[in-house]
Amino acid sequence: MRSLILMSLCATTLVAQENVTVFRGAKIHTVAGETIDDGVLVVAAGKVQLVGGADASLPVDAKTVDLSGKVITPGLVDASTSIGLSTRDANEQGEEVTPQVHVLDAVNPQDKRFIRARRAGVTTVQVGAGNLNVIGGLGAVLKIRGVTTRDMVLRDESGLRLTLGAQPSRGNRSIRFGTPVGIFYRRPSTRMGVVWEARKAFYDAMEYREQKTVPDGDDKPTGFDPGMEVLVRALEKEVTVHTTAQAEHDIRTALRLAEEFGYDTLIEGGTEAWRVVEELATSGTKVLLSSPSTLDNGARADGAEFRYHTVKALADAGVEFAIQTGPEGTPLDLIQEAMLTVRNGLDESVALAAITKIPAEILGIDDRVGSLAAGRDADFVVWSGSPFDPTTRIEAVYIDGEETE
Amino acid sequence: MMFDRILFATTLSLLTAPAVAQELVAVKAGRVITMAGAEMKNAVVLIEDGRIKEVGAKVEVPWNATVIDASDKVVMPTYVLAHATSGMDGGSNERMANVPFLSVKDGIDPSSSFFEESLRNGIGTLNVIPGNSTLLGGVGMVVRPIGKTVEDMAVRDRSGLKLSLAASSGNKVAQIRQLRRTLRDAEDTRKDLERQEAEFEREKAAGATEKEKFEGKPDDSKKAIIEFLEGKIRGYLYVPSAAEVNEAMRMKRRWAGIDLALVAGPKTYKAARQLKALGLPVILDATAMQFYEVDSETTEETLVSTAKVLDDAGVPLIFSISTSTRSAQRYPWWQMATAIRNGVSRDTAMRALTIEPAKLLGLDKEVGTIEPGKIANLQILTGDPLKATSWVDTVLLEGEIAYERSTDARLQHLFGTDKN
Repeated sequence: MRSLILMSLCATTLVAQENVTVFRGAKIHTVAGETIDDGVLVVAAGKVQLVGGADASLPVDAKTVDLSGKVITPGLVDASTSIGLSTRDANEQGEEVTPQVHVLDAVNPQDKRFIRARRAGVTTVQVGAGNLNVIGGLGAVLKIRGVTTRDMVLRDESGLRLTLGAQPSRGNRSIRFGTPVGIFYRRPSTRMGVVWEARKAFYDAMEYREQKTVPDGDDKPTGFDPGMEVLVRALEKEVTVHTTAQAEHDIRTALRLAEEFGYDTLIEGGTEAWRVVEELATSGTKVLLSSPSTLDNGARADGAEFRYHTVKALADAGVEFAIQTGPEGTPLDLIQEAMLTVRNGLDESVALAAITKIPAEILGIDDRVGSLAAGRDADFVVWSGSPFDPTTRIEAVYIDGEETE
Repeated sequence: MMFDRILFATTLSLLTAPAVAQELVAVKAGRVITMAGAEMKNAVVLIEDGRIKEVGAKVEVPWNATVIDASDKVVMPTYVLAHATSGMDGGSNERMANVPFLSVKDGIDPSSSFFEESLRNGIGTLNVIPGNSTLLGGVGMVVRPIGKTVEDMAVRDRSGLKLSLAASSGNKVAQIRQLRRTLRDAEDTRKDLERQEAEFEREKAAGATEKEKFEGKPDDSKKAIIEFLEGKIRGYLYVPSAAEVNEAMRMKRRWAGIDLALVAGPKTYKAARQLKALGLPVILDATAMQFYEVDSETTEETLVSTAKVLDDAGVPLIFSISTSTRSAQRYPWWQMATAIRNGVSRDTAMRALTIEPAKLLGLDKEVGTIEPGKIANLQILTGDPLKATSWVDTVLLEGEIAYERSTDARLQHLFGTDKN
């Protein structure tokens, strides 16, 4: 009880000391709960203090911002991007299996794409390793703020990249007669090879884990392998495996591998997820669906066929999915992607959750971002109208209660 | 030009020939966006023989009219594209730069998915023209997106000659110099022919020749350029950035009789005042709705809407769409909405894909609005044309159903509602 009083005292002091800002009059999509038509959002110390209706009791002497006629949503969360990384930086090509590398070590905070994304309403991104390795490394979740990656990082080691399909073997050549003259004379050079490399990595990790249990003594194998440590953590379900799989059979392989080794996985990309809806639903596998606006199948990896009804089929079957802009190529506009899924039949509320709350949950950061409720980070976007109306402008983007440029 | 018009009229009468049997179609619309005056609620668009006869709330539906019930839908004119660089087999840019003798007519593939996609997006008239990556790319052609052959599709052949100031070699000066030289060469040929003709007339008067008529002709490679220099065919000049606007001004001064329209890249916004002063029609490149301008000194990025800047400068807007299937810029609604998001008025944005391009193509008496006397090119949408959730339900071209969403096999395939 005493601590409670102390806490509330602390909160009061905090409120008194810090600038409190009240944003009123806007329609607030909290995503956490109900949408409030004439809402009030109270922000102090970078956090949401209160979200409520027009009748909410407000702190006195607070600065008030009138947002009548505007719409507020949580800052958008793009669950998979390559912002901050060049293709070269995103793929450690020295080996096929590099679970030990961290993208955070390569992210360039000065990448202009961060600002582009933020101006488009995105406040949090996951940056993942590229898809040219079988096991590519550990991703990181960043908030688009500050000047160093230390300022930005919300969660390091947010997921381990595993890529199935033809991409990791792209460019590899098999050794036949001559001498291998480049690092690309190597395995895998087939889809089978890709899966084997993944399987072998997890077998090795299981053996590594086994050997660690050998009691100290002469027989105890020595050596600490950082890569194996990461894979063991995946096997122990401490790190989620983000399996990139576009074609139907690759998605099935992803599910099979996860079951075989008992690790947690989600499907990234998932172009042909519409063919695997039932299995995804049954296994409770989540999907980070990439660029659902793209029509051009030729531009998609592994010749996977995209369909407009993917989003709706997943939603109807209860498969949890987030919409993301994709780790490859030019960054796309996240709200535009979501808008096009609404065009293709998805409910606006589901589409909004798929770019806010759901990706935050999937990435394990939903206590901080992705919805608006007391205690969450004050990351939000002020829109001139419905976010799904293509004529709507973004009027302001706030991160930690601060308006960004 | 006159000849063109007659040709056009003939083509049209041929096209509408099957409908001569006094066919009446009445579209009962929940809302009509006429693009000519106020919108109408619960109105009827009455079509006779492929042309709009009457529009209004009080129009009576004749007993023998075929009725299209769109009472819960929105009816508006089909879009007009003044500059469409797709639908050609094997690409829209010849690899050689100087190919004024080419014609898109020889490249148009009537079964191209681009035309199918055009109908799906409510586009009824397109000026198909070579791309921006040559010097003199060939001549364009105005088509409708239906028909099994180019002849079926044709609205008007030889709609204009494509010229480009985009330096494929990377050297702007070289591109400009080569363009000037090519035009001068053609002018020399033209003058030479004039001289030969004058000489022929003298010889004829003196009885020194038995021929009745002068038979000299420019070779085919120069024909289109000479027509352009004589003002007989319009030039569509691609101007990638503000730096090349100057050359467009110079071209207009140097060649007094030419008919020139500009195709403006996003970076032309810095020359908005000059573009206004030039007084030439300007078609905005698909990427000019908004783009990131990068400051070469600071590398700072600024979002610029060339559409908005030109609108503010008083340049009448004409939009185009992207031919890339990767981009939402392929949708007319997205293009208009992007301009509106950047501050362009709704009416201006909608005019930029209807009546303004129709004017540019000299077809404003035929298409671009819903008014009595015009060709009945209508699109019926499930909702407001600027909502992302609105779909084109039906397209009528010359009063006949050219597209129905309910029978769109490709769309059904994409939505998984086909039999496969």
